[in-house]
Amino acid sequence: MSIKVIVFCIATVLLAQLVAQPCLFKLKGQILDESTQAPLEFATAYVVETNLGASSDERGYFEINGICPGKYHLQISHIGCEAERMYLEIRGDTTLTIQLHHHTEILNEISVHSTHEQSSANVIQSINTDFIHRNADKNVADLLESLAGVTVIKNGGGISKPVIHGMYGNRITILNNGLVQAGQQWGNDHAPEIDPFISEQISVIKGAASLAYGGNGLGSVVQIQNNAIEEDPHLHGKVNYIYNTNGHGNTLNAKLQKYQKSLSWKITGTYKLSGDTKTPSYFLTNTGKQESNLGLQLNKSITTKWKLSLHASTFNTGIGILRGSHIGNVTDLNEALSRPIPFFTSEKFSYSIEAPKQIVHHHLVKIENKWYKSEKVIYSFNYGSQWNNRKEFDVRRGDRSNKASLSLNQLTHFIESTVHKEYSDEWHLKSGIQVNIVNNENAPGTGILPLIPNYTSSKPSGYAIVEKITDRWRLETGIRLDYNFLHVASINRSTSNLVERFKHQFVNFNGAAGGKYDLNKAIKLSYNIGYALRSPEVNELYSAGLHQGVSGIEEGNRQLNIEKSLKNIFTIDVNVDQRVLLQLIGYHQLIDDYIYLKPEKELRLTIRGAFPVFIYDQTNAAINGMDFTGSIEISKHIKWLSQFSYIRGHDRLHQIGLVFMPANTIRNKIELQLNEGKKIKNTSMGIQFKNVFRQNNITADQDFMLPPPGYSLLNFEMASTYRMKRNELQFSISMDNILNAAYRDYLNRLRYFADETGRNTSVRIGWIF
Amino acid sequence: MIRSYYLFIGILLISLSSCLKDPEVANEEELITTLKYKLTPVTGGNEVVMTFKDVDGTGGNAAQITGGTLLKNTAYTGVLELLNEQANPVVNITQEVQTEATDHQFFFSALNGLTTVVSYTDKDSNGNPLGILTSLNTGAVSSGKLRITLRHEPNKSAQGVKEGLITNAGGETDIEVEFPVNVN
Repeated sequence: MSIKVIVFCIATVLLAQLVAQPCLFKLKGQILDESTQAPLEFATAYVVETNLGASSDERGYFEINGICPGKYHLQISHIGCEAERMYLEIRGDTTLTIQLHHHTEILNEISVHSTHEQSSANVIQSINTDFIHRNADKNVADLLESLAGVTVIKNGGGISKPVIHGMYGNRITILNNGLVQAGQQWGNDHAPEIDPFISEQISVIKGAASLAYGGNGLGSVVQIQNNAIEEDPHLHGKVNYIYNTNGHGNTLNAKLQKYQKSLSWKITGTYKLSGDTKTPSYFLTNTGKQESNLGLQLNKSITTKWKLSLHASTFNTGIGILRGSHIGNVTDLNEALSRPIPFFTSEKFSYSIEAPKQIVHHHLVKIENKWYKSEKVIYSFNYGSQWNNRKEFDVRRGDRSNKASLSLNQLTHFIESTVHKEYSDEWHLKSGIQVNIVNNENAPGTGILPLIPNYTSSKPSGYAIVEKITDRWRLETGIRLDYNFLHVASINRSTSNLVERFKHQFVNFNGAAGGKYDLNKAIKLSYNIGYALRSPEVNELYSAGLHQGVSGIEEGNRQLNIEKSLKNIFTIDVNVDQRVLLQLIGYHQLIDDYIYLKPEKELRLTIRGAFPVFIYDQTNAAINGMDFTGSIEISKHIKWLSQFSYIRGHDRLHQIGLVFMPANTIRNKIELQLNEGKKIKNTSMGIQFKNVFRQNNITADQDFMLPPPGYSLLNFEMASTYRMKRNELQFSISMDNILNAAYRDYLNRLRYFADETGRNTSVRIGWIF
Repeated sequence: MIRSYYLFIGILLISLSSCLKDPEVANEEELITTLKYKLTPVTGGNEVVMTFKDVDGTGGNAAQITGGTLLKNTAYTGVLELLNEQANPVVNITQEVQTEATDHQFFFSALNGLTTVVSYTDKDSNGNPLGILTSLNTGAVSSGKLRITLRHEPNKSAQGVKEGLITNAGGETDIEVEFPVNVN
């Protein structure tokens, strides 16, 4: 190099510095598919502040030139992928690797399977943020229903609980940011008190990883998780509004977040208001709903090794229950069954919520301490507390309809200490000890003897999970032990209502092992086996009285034994260049001493007439099933998605079917993705056909009414994004039950009384800044 | 060190949790334990009282049911009485139903060939029947069952309800009792 050139260079640099800062830096990067690591062509990268952008080549590379030093937001998008937004500080030439994940829920289900973070032998299905926010008007269980193998038990539109592989209520564990959701989870008419908008990811986990979480489940864990606050020092947020034509439902959500070195925060709020929903031909009187929730997340790094975070949330709801489903006795029930339109059906729409109704409050606080002792050792110390208040109102004589007939307060404390160690690149150990304390009390003043007694439960637990990861194998095994000390104060009704006290002690052992093998680049096989014990819950041991939720007299059984379950899960994942994705999950579960409500032959005569009596009893059960999920990219723009779930529950002792098992379901969807426009992005539309078969496994004497016939639904959705410089507007329109089909679903208690809701159009506008 | 600290907190919480409160033994004000149907012959004679009594409520001991024997081709005046005999002193629920007359109606059905006809002799504030006061007429010799039903929030304007037909009444059943009756 000649001296002249060098001098010229120095001069240029000096000159450039004199003229403020040179805008000469390059931003380079490669955009990859998160799950396959395949490069993504025609993805766009765009620097919001400068209007500069580039699109990626066939190797996924892009280059943006002429960037000044400074702070920027970079937006990356690709057809069919969730757009990524990141914050950058440019001080020189910068090279990035960016991973995008496909935003279709069905693809995500499979792709999350293989991302490194979740690279375990477990079966994991997930719903991403985009999907959660697009459906922020729905509740947690209804969102989960989009996953193969998940169905919901309902008590009308406002109340739904997830059913996973035939397990529900006490048998599945729902985790709210690492805390086992506490409350009256035993009731089929008690929905989990969680606002999905607060969370960013919802997953279902089956396998050894579920051992890290308490609860009293038989293997499946629903995890509802907030993401860490993104490292972006600017205020960002999201406002979402959804309107539903059926029920004139309104949902307003807002989320604000800001990252700061000292303290990062995120606040979310939701307000929902909807009125009476409508079947194709009549209103479902008194099915309105109100909900208001707030969530707060704080993250703070006290030192580089010590990270503190706080989650707090409050959930408050009032839900009306179909007036015509409130019945006196068996005569009323039989009369209701024979009516095409329920009693008390009003001809007018209304937002008002009268008895029968539920008013539920749930408050949660969790403090997490993470101590990164070294790169390979992480300790955490967590404390969480939940307060659940549930009031249920019946139609009563006098002015007593304003007085709760059931009023329960539950306070829980949870403490855990965990350690995660990496012994070498291949060996991982996760272990922890936990204590969970529950105090459940009936609030006085109901004027009714309580259905379940007062109780306290103390549960010390411990677990250890070992993981080994090699090139092709991921192996995992673990054990968990729970002690449960249960103290009960119940009212004995046959000895002039004396209060009696009882003590129970249970030891629950859980063990699981699983392996995942990468057969080749496209095919992964995994197998999990788990043995779990579940001790009977208080409602199963001590229920006494009339339970509206089952339209009968429910009696606990103090002699119940621990349930014992053995479950095998086999999974095949196929991923051919992201074009063909298939997942097949097959499972077989044996449950000995399966606890269920057994209808007694004789009706009990009371002054209110005759009532069926249900006594908690045990049998041996078997549940077999398979879930299939698949997607095929027919062309760059068209995708075919398909899901099929088959399940059969069997009572091995009595040789009959198990009640409350979901019917088999097939879902097919065609999705059309449009090209990315300059400002219009992520435009897609889809048509879905859902077929639910009849539950043919139940005989007439197992229920008040035989399961309803199968049904087919046609749904449509369309979504698009309009991107401005610093903002983004999201639009979507969806239409459910386009053909306005009148149908009833086996897992909805209201099937005895009324049809499901008819056509609904839902419009959503979201503003992201 | 840290672990023992947590163990300490754990033990502390376990001991805290042992303060289990007794549930309130609620005074079930709404409970109806007893229904009495008192029938007096219009022309004088022996009073007949049919009783349904279940003092301990839904569970526990079975209800005691006392039917009656009526004279054929006779007119009776009927009076219903509802009691909560679990409460001390005994509460008369009839008044409560009377206060909410528009939201309640009794229905009387003769079953298994019983030859009795019941008609209303009282009215609520809207001029619709209530059924605390009735007149009962017997026909020929027969035996069967008399069913008395109390409906809460019935649709009194539905077809036949004012005439005492329960079919279209709707509402919830607060009381449904059956008495064995002989007409001699």
